Amino acid sequence: MTRVLIADDSETILLLLRTRLEMEGYEVITAADGVEVLEVMHREPSPGPDILLLDAMMPRKSGIDALRQLRAEGVETPALIVSAHQDEMDAGAPTDNEVSGYITKPIDFDRLFASIAALTAPA
Amino acid sequence: MSPSLANRLTIGFAIAFAVLTGLAVVGVARFLQQRQDFEDATARSYQVEIAARNRLANGAQPEAAREAILAQQRARQGLRDDIDGETRDTALLVGAGLIAGLTGAALLFSGLIASMRRPLEELVEASGRLAGGDLETRVKVGGLSETATLGNAFNEMAGELQRRAGERDQLEAMKDEFVLTASHELRSPLTSVQGFAELLMLERDKLTPQQADTVEIILDNTRHLVRLLNDLLDLARSDAGRLTIKPAATDVAALVEDAVRTMRSQTEAAGQALRQEIEPGLPQVSVDRDRIRQVLVNLLTNAHEYSPEGASIEVKVVRRGTEVEMTVNDDGPGMAEDQLEHIFERFTRGDAGLTQHVGGTGLGLAISKSLVELHGGTIEAASTPGQGSTFRVQLPAASAQ
Repeated sequence: MTRVLIADDSETILLLLRTRLEMEGYEVITAADGVEVLEVMHREPSPGPDILLLDAMMPRKSGIDALRQLRAEGVETPALIVSAHQDEMDAGAPTDNEVSGYITKPIDFDRLFASIAALTAPA
Repeated sequence: MSPSLANRLTIGFAIAFAVLTGLAVVGVARFLQQRQDFEDATARSYQVEIAARNRLANGAQPEAAREAILAQQRARQGLRDDIDGETRDTALLVGAGLIAGLTGAALLFSGLIASMRRPLEELVEASGRLAGGDLETRVKVGGLSETATLGNAFNEMAGELQRRAGERDQLEAMKDEFVLTASHELRSPLTSVQGFAELLMLERDKLTPQQADTVEIILDNTRHLVRLLNDLLDLARSDAGRLTIKPAATDVAALVEDAVRTMRSQTEAAGQALRQEIEPGLPQVSVDRDRIRQVLVNLLTNAHEYSPEGASIEVKVVRRGTEVEMTVNDDGPGMAEDQLEHIFERFTRGDAGLTQHVGGTGLGLAISKSLVELHGGTIEAASTPGQGSTFRVQLPAASAQ
């Protein structure tokens, strides 16, 4: 079963994402911020989650910073960044080889499921 | 303290008059005295000559008398020569004084004009720069007190303008920041509301029809709020000069087909015919694909929402010289002249005319105009009441950029 790690500082959004993803047949792991994302990734036995779905702005450590650190550690898991709007990206401006795609809020779930399916399809 | 123009003129004229008058009075008085002396001497000489002539007539010492007569005649000739010389000298003196005075006055005037001209020229140049938006421009204060006062007043005015512009910029920046922050903060709760309402709709069959309608209303309004939020954000970016585009060579046909596809379900639900006519072999355009798609969807949404059921909407794309022209045409109610004028302003909407619900934000065309202009293109509207509306977008072809 495809495993998705989702991170958002809003419990409501986490609940929404978890419910919709589980209805689609995904297994879901949650994290409340970037620090928890790193904890989960370091704790999980290899190969870990199949895809990361990280909120761009979170307290303690943002999704972008967490992803950057994971990439520096050699983690290549595909990652989607969820952002409120493009302006948030302008400051951090992650590069394309770090991020697999962007999802904007409010979330278009059809698009989200299509992106996840495309990124986790067996090669 | 700079000398004033009036002071300089008064002093200059006073000196010139004093010099001129002095020269004239002294010269003329001296001349009159010499003239008097000359006449007296001449008269005396005649008396001496008359006495000599009497002696000659009496026959006494005729040789001496003749000599005396000749001597007097020579003396008077000498006096006449002298006075002629004096007349010439006096005329020269007065003339020279006159020329000197006039030259002095001319020099004084040219000096005054020069001392006014430089500061005035500088003021003219600075005014031009200020009008052109360079609020930091200032003039060097100096010269006559009048030009100095003018210069000071100009600098104060420029300073005030700059201060107010600074305050306005600060307020604008605060407003933009507020809109950006508000937009961000509103997005999370909206994501939840929309997401959970959608979740309910996934299990529609478990809801009563009334509950399903209720959720549908929540969803409709949430989507409207999201659109409004996106539009406000775009406008705030546009105002802040932060509305940016990422142009790339784009196939117009694919872009238009994509936008039309997006609209298809809505127009079909309203029984409207949506046709597209794309000229084959169009050049590529250098545009931000998402943004031009946004413009097209906005134009199509307007055509859809303002036209009655069963109306027909047509999208046409043709090449016009170095430009690619896209038109969205409908046979809806159209607009009157006075509406058409303001159609690209914010929160302006056409009279729906019909009783149908119009779901737009009133910002779409204002944003579309900003976006098209960012691409170096133009957007215009034409309409006749009762005969539909036409919106025309022209974008430069990629090769022309």
